[in-house]
Amino acid sequence: MRDDDKRAQTQDHVAEAAAADYRRTMEQTWARPHGLYGFLIETDHKIIALRYIVTAFIFFLLGGIEAALMRVQLARPENHFLNPDLYNQVFTVHGTTMMFLFAVPIMTALGIYLVPLMVGARDVAFPRLNAYGYFVYLIGGLLLYIAFFLNTGPDAGWFSYVPLSGPGYSPGKRVDIWAQMITFTEISGLIGAIVIIGTAFKMRAPGMSIHRIPLFVWAQVVTSFMILFAMPAVMLASGFLASDRLVDTHIFNPAEGGDALLYQHMFWFFGHPEVYIIFIPALGFVSSIIVTFSRRKIFGYPVMVLSLVSTAFIGFGLWVHHMFATPLPQLGQSFFTAASMMIAIPSGVQIFCWIATLWGARINLRVPLLFVLGFFAIFVLGGLTGVMLASVPLDLQIHDTFFVVAHLHYVLIGGSVFPLFGAFYYWFPKWTGRLLAEGLGRLNFWLMFVGFNLVFFPMHQLGLQGMPRRVYTYLPDTGWGTLNLVASIGALILALGVLVFLINVFRSFRVGEIAGDNPWGADTLEWSTSSPPPDYNFLYLPTVQGNYALWTQTSETPIVIGLSAKKRETLVTSVVDAVPELRFELPGPSIWPFCVALGTAEAFIVGIFTPWAFVVGAVLVFAALFGWFWSDPDYENLKVIGAADKASSVERPTRLQPEKA
Amino acid sequence: MSARPTIDVSELPHHGFDTLDPVWWGNNGLLVIESSMFAILITTYFYLRQNIQPWPPPLGQLTGPLNALPDLTFGTANVALLLFSLLPIVLVDLSARRDFRVGAMAGLVICLLLAAVAIVFRAYEFPAVKFRWDANAYGSVVWFLLGMHLAHLLTLTMETLLLTIWIFKRNFDMKHRLDLTALAIYWYWVVGMWLVIYCVIYISPRVL
Repeated sequence: MRDDDKRAQTQDHVAEAAAADYRRTMEQTWARPHGLYGFLIETDHKIIALRYIVTAFIFFLLGGIEAALMRVQLARPENHFLNPDLYNQVFTVHGTTMMFLFAVPIMTALGIYLVPLMVGARDVAFPRLNAYGYFVYLIGGLLLYIAFFLNTGPDAGWFSYVPLSGPGYSPGKRVDIWAQMITFTEISGLIGAIVIIGTAFKMRAPGMSIHRIPLFVWAQVVTSFMILFAMPAVMLASGFLASDRLVDTHIFNPAEGGDALLYQHMFWFFGHPEVYIIFIPALGFVSSIIVTFSRRKIFGYPVMVLSLVSTAFIGFGLWVHHMFATPLPQLGQSFFTAASMMIAIPSGVQIFCWIATLWGARINLRVPLLFVLGFFAIFVLGGLTGVMLASVPLDLQIHDTFFVVAHLHYVLIGGSVFPLFGAFYYWFPKWTGRLLAEGLGRLNFWLMFVGFNLVFFPMHQLGLQGMPRRVYTYLPDTGWGTLNLVASIGALILALGVLVFLINVFRSFRVGEIAGDNPWGADTLEWSTSSPPPDYNFLYLPTVQGNYALWTQTSETPIVIGLSAKKRETLVTSVVDAVPELRFELPGPSIWPFCVALGTAEAFIVGIFTPWAFVVGAVLVFAALFGWFWSDPDYENLKVIGAADKASSVERPTRLQPEKA
Repeated sequence: MSARPTIDVSELPHHGFDTLDPVWWGNNGLLVIESSMFAILITTYFYLRQNIQPWPPPLGQLTGPLNALPDLTFGTANVALLLFSLLPIVLVDLSARRDFRVGAMAGLVICLLLAAVAIVFRAYEFPAVKFRWDANAYGSVVWFLLGMHLAHLLTLTMETLLLTIWIFKRNFDMKHRLDLTALAIYWYWVVGMWLVIYCVIYISPRVL
């Protein structure tokens, strides 16, 4: 063998050994902790996101059971399945569960799993904060359900209006439990928003400038900003409600100068953006799925981004349309009519852009796209009834009737749940390494589509016929019996659809088709790593040369080297142009997020019974925060500006240098 | 193995000030949240004002003035104190940026003392409102305004305490210098928010 060849062979061996060492070191550095203690200290965004997804889906099933209970009760007039008090708890807990414990957390969850991967990062920007957010959410959900199972669940509606929910008309602790559960779920939502903004702004792959960010990430960022501005309103509203009940403040007490309508303003200033917080991430799912299954660039990317942003802005100007039946001045109300109609414009623009993307494309009609088509049909119907309800005269007739129930379920289930199921089918292979079954998936879709329409379409008519919301029964001579029965049968079919989904999931976990890295031939960066991704996401961080990262990648697209494998290092880049700026060390597993969560739990749970709980809670939280921020001494022995890390051959692969021509 | 073009980032620093640092973005995001909360709380104050004439409501028929305006003493003292505290915190901020440990230590100790006094003054501000939280809606909303800001004063003090202990007991490392600049931003925010709340509670019922 010639000397040159021998040298090349030796170099190859050295390079391979170095690369293998590098991978091993990375695996050690990013290794996940084990056992119960490991569960409590975990900070890997993928694990936390999967916890959110599983927990939120369990709440979805519980909320669905509550819905089923209501449908059984309403299936025929003068039914005795649920007594009035239990019915009140059931519809309250159904709404609260779906809105606070399912919808927002699951959208956050998909963001937490996918945003770091889609932008090419190793984890979220604030892993411990992320862990804390999950614990707080779990505690809030447990608080609500333990209370519910002890027959002390809230019963004043999912929005808990005063004066019904005030100290005068709701004795006991039911409403206090609701109010404090809100605190937990909103803290969790706010934390998720901070985490996503930090990650999406500062940890993008080099080259992923602002006009190359996937629409999924845009949707998550826009949603996160909405959360920052909207959720404080409901925290204050529930905080005022709790203090009115616990320590006799008078914010909502008209007898002492307070105002009951103020609660509605405060709640709906949050409540309307809340539904967009639930809806906008789903628009991100739809964009991802349409691009992949039409194998085309999205039509009108800048317009799509602007539509997301303008939907978010306009969404803050709609809240009074939930209050048209109050004695607010008509001139003021008409402003909100205009805004409520105006918001259909950006949503409509998006739908036309998606249709344009699909038009003439070679469509791969797999289950995710099927759910997106279902979204189109159902959401558009819901949007149309929304524009109807935006008109004050019509709303005054059908406010608080089943017409509104029909509308809200068409937009929420059509607009969010259908894309969510599409997202499940689309990203399940990435999370688990196996594909969900296609046949079962189609059955799932059709059962849900038919069942959904059977449940909720008759409700439009029921509402127009005058059937009010939140009534535990109705008289036979109203004539509402038939349509209610149809709806209840539809609920059974919808439930079967969800059951088929569960069967599909459990089956595919064990015997599903192995997915590989990129079973769909998709374009975003999460599909460039294994399924499921390794703990460190990418062995070498990717760079990006265009929108649709994997479709614009070539063999000349650079990868990032020079990050230490011995520490949990990821790359921080600039906000607009994603130019590399820092090597950022992420913290590893830590018990402190759990401890802070316990302190928070003490404050807000014992705080249902005595205000002194907050003093104790503050002490506990501060103590745990001391632990959190009293960081590992080795953490600071890093080189300062300008100095270079001495990289050994173990840390940096020797062969992967650009070939000198 | 075929060569792949690479970008070598091993020469990049580990820390950067202000917008370079993800923690800066996280901190400011938290401040956006808290600002939204105070904005709604202040809106609540003015919303409730529509319901109550005169504002503040009368103390009682025979006792003292008809309008029970809050006493200016301790509130104004806090304005002066917190504005004055901008000096040491700016010292801390600049010292952190310029690697001047003694300046940071001195500034932090003074900040801690001033924060402690501010908290004591705040304790006297509550009775200065002349209504308890459970007397009427005016009392409730003003106690909420004072109380939420007090929560921030306490958190600020705790954070300052932690960093002071670290700077004294351990080294003046880069990560904690960045933390000091984050503390400074939080400090500026707490002071700024107090100026706004002071105007709402003490000035607005007197001029509007």
